[in-house]
Amino acid sequence: MVEETKEKDPEFKWGKKKGFGGKKREVIFYESFIYDGVAYTLYDSVYLYKEDEPEPFIGKIIKIWESGDKKKRVKVLWFFRPCEILNFLEGYEARENELFLAAGEGLGLANVNPLEAIAGKCDVACILKDDRNPHPLDAGLQNADFVCYRFFDVGKHAILDKIEDKIAGIEVKNIFNNLYSRKLGGLSKLGLDEKEVSVKVTTSNEAATLSSDKNNQLLVEKLDGKCFDNVDSRDKTLPQAKEKENGVYMTSLAKQKSLAKLSHCSRDSLEMKEISKIGGNVSIDKTLLKSKNNLEMGGHNIVGIPDRQINKRLGEGEVYEKEKYGISSAKITSNVKNRRNYDEYDDVKEVPSKKPKIDTMSVKHSEKKLPDRQINKRLGENKAFEKEKYGASSARKTNNVQNRRTYYDNDDDDDDDEKEVPSKKPKIDTMHAKLARDKLQKESSTTSLNVEHKLDYRVMEVTQRPDVDRSKWFKPMAWEEKMKNACEQGKLVRLENLDPSLTSSEVQNIIWHGFEESCTAKMIQKTAYSSPHSGQAFVIFKRKEAAESVVRKLEEGCFLMSNGRPLVGSFELPCLSGKKPIFYGHHAIDQPRQRETKDALSTSHCSQPNNIEYDMALEWCLLQEREDKSWRRLYQRQGEELSKLKAKLKSKI
Amino acid sequence: MESSAEEYAAFEEKVKRTVYLDNLSPQVTESVIKTALDQFALVKSVKFIPNYLGTSSLPQCALVELESAKKVKEVIAMIRQYPFMMSGMPRPVRARPSLVEMFDDRPIKPKRKMKCCWLEQSDPDFEVAKELKNLTRKHSAEITLMHKVLSKEEEKLATQQAETLKVHYKKYRMIESIMTDRAAHTLARKYNMAVADE
Repeated sequence: MVEETKEKDPEFKWGKKKGFGGKKREVIFYESFIYDGVAYTLYDSVYLYKEDEPEPFIGKIIKIWESGDKKKRVKVLWFFRPCEILNFLEGYEARENELFLAAGEGLGLANVNPLEAIAGKCDVACILKDDRNPHPLDAGLQNADFVCYRFFDVGKHAILDKIEDKIAGIEVKNIFNNLYSRKLGGLSKLGLDEKEVSVKVTTSNEAATLSSDKNNQLLVEKLDGKCFDNVDSRDKTLPQAKEKENGVYMTSLAKQKSLAKLSHCSRDSLEMKEISKIGGNVSIDKTLLKSKNNLEMGGHNIVGIPDRQINKRLGEGEVYEKEKYGISSAKITSNVKNRRNYDEYDDVKEVPSKKPKIDTMSVKHSEKKLPDRQINKRLGENKAFEKEKYGASSARKTNNVQNRRTYYDNDDDDDDDEKEVPSKKPKIDTMHAKLARDKLQKESSTTSLNVEHKLDYRVMEVTQRPDVDRSKWFKPMAWEEKMKNACEQGKLVRLENLDPSLTSSEVQNIIWHGFEESCTAKMIQKTAYSSPHSGQAFVIFKRKEAAESVVRKLEEGCFLMSNGRPLVGSFELPCLSGKKPIFYGHHAIDQPRQRETKDALSTSHCSQPNNIEYDMALEWCLLQEREDKSWRRLYQRQGEELSKLKAKLKSKI
Repeated sequence: MESSAEEYAAFEEKVKRTVYLDNLSPQVTESVIKTALDQFALVKSVKFIPNYLGTSSLPQCALVELESAKKVKEVIAMIRQYPFMMSGMPRPVRARPSLVEMFDDRPIKPKRKMKCCWLEQSDPDFEVAKELKNLTRKHSAEITLMHKVLSKEEEKLATQQAETLKVHYKKYRMIESIMTDRAAHTLARKYNMAVADE
């Protein structure tokens, strides 16, 4: 299935194909891609740059596709920096490098972005202790860029410590530390996890045995009944039907999540061995939660997995189980297994971690044989009941139907996504503005404390600054607009006394060497009037504080450049086109014959020496010459003054 | 991103092909310039130089790339010789050869080494540099003032010309009116003078 499409962009390559979507199957989903020399996989955390945002956004790729018109898109689930949600953080201590994962429903959860917006990989370690998190990484041991263990509900604007099973339709286990990408580091940790898992299993087992037999049976029946109901309604309306059933299910179980878990636990005890043998998932809880998800949503992600393959697996599973329990239990198992197979396809990534766990599980099982046997009896009754109703083959049918249903779901999902394209985090942005101000105040107070800045007094040769700007993938905004924004945010600095022949990029390099700040600079273009001695530039810094510190440093210290030019910086504002400029010297006669005159006026022509226009034009020429002369004299005088002073400089660099 | 020598040479060629126009009215657009100059030369591109510095109401400036350096000379000679009106009169447009620094997208001059350093306060140059900084500020203030003064002069000339124009216009209107209502003819007969009839 791996196919590398040739792209115009040499720095881009698609990775593994995942499937197709859309009405005409024109949308191609992928699992990975290589961009700008970096390989990205689904569920990787990435930086996304937005022009004029001082800090990049951080998000998790939850979907990758190429749309029908060959546009590369990624759906990104956002992380929030603490400063972005400052208003909702009261009572919470946030680490400096902590991120909050968006959850809930609402604006700012996730959106679709052009793939080109990705600026780089970001290392976010999820240190949440949760059974669904395969390896809660130890925060102390990791030198990840960021850590994440809490969530921000974008709908309710609240910080959450726990999380539902899905965020934006993605199962959280994918969102947690990505097994695939952490395969190497993760494996060594497996041992620990397994222990945890086994403890959990024991407890759940106990809980299950405690609950009454009746209850057990009831729950099992209900679950199975539901599965088979699906067989009957195997058309496109399935998702709704499912939901309805789910509703019934939910009411019957009162408290959705916990009880679902409990019911699964009870089931669990019945099917302990099967599951353990299947044992694909990290913890049993997770399997069950996932199976619950499947019931609710009909699975996700998988597209186009051959049914036969699943069936084959199913067959294997049955055979396997037969050995231990006899055919009777196969049916229930197959349901579970069915789901489990799903899960497996859901995240192929988990596969590597599977094997070691299976072993430990089965070991544990042998210890538990006795209680299980008892349960098996009960199970036997159960299965007999089902056999009467549906026969063995129905399990497989369910499987197929579910599979197909997944397919539809997926398609629908994707269509939605494409419509979602409009802008990023709109609501949150407004919060941003407010918060950013707070933040700035806070930061500026801290910076003013360390006024004692160290300056390097050595002579530096200006070279190309390191490529700190990674935002090159954005189409540059019009300079005017940028400058206006920067001006409002106090990030704009005017530099004077530059060598007029410098280019904008050279100015950027100079700033980088002198202040270690990256910036966007623009030399003011010379005109006939501008000074030949002092070039000017407008520079936009990333942050207000950076701009302030640069101006302060320039004020206090002296930054000497080649040819004895000390740099001068100020916050002088540019003149931006707002009001209509006044232009002297064009006259129109506003009298009845205006129309004709106007037409005559607007044509460009050389004036001939036989009319009044020519006389007037000559007056203007005279004035222009006078102006020229005054400029020349002014600059000449200024030049003399400068060279006199420069002669006093001892060091010549 | 060191630009290569060839690249820079190509750029210098472009500079030679380009004419700098100023004293342009704010109403002048790219198409106005194109139509105005196409009687002399083929206009390849027009770029306005934005005016970001505080001095307001400066006339527009533009860089106009023509087909060849020869054409640039012709255009400049033409505009020098005859006052050239563009989108209004009587203030003429002025043309000059363009300079490298006028271009926004100029490549970095090859083989140029820039050096820079911070000066220590104990350095004897520190004070000199400080003075230089002050001088720079003073100069830029002078430039601003100069712009203001010159703009005043322009305004003066403009109002004076407007006045003249108005008077002239009034005069011609009067002549026209007495010619049309035949008052001129009546008077001519009275004083026994000949009047050209239209």
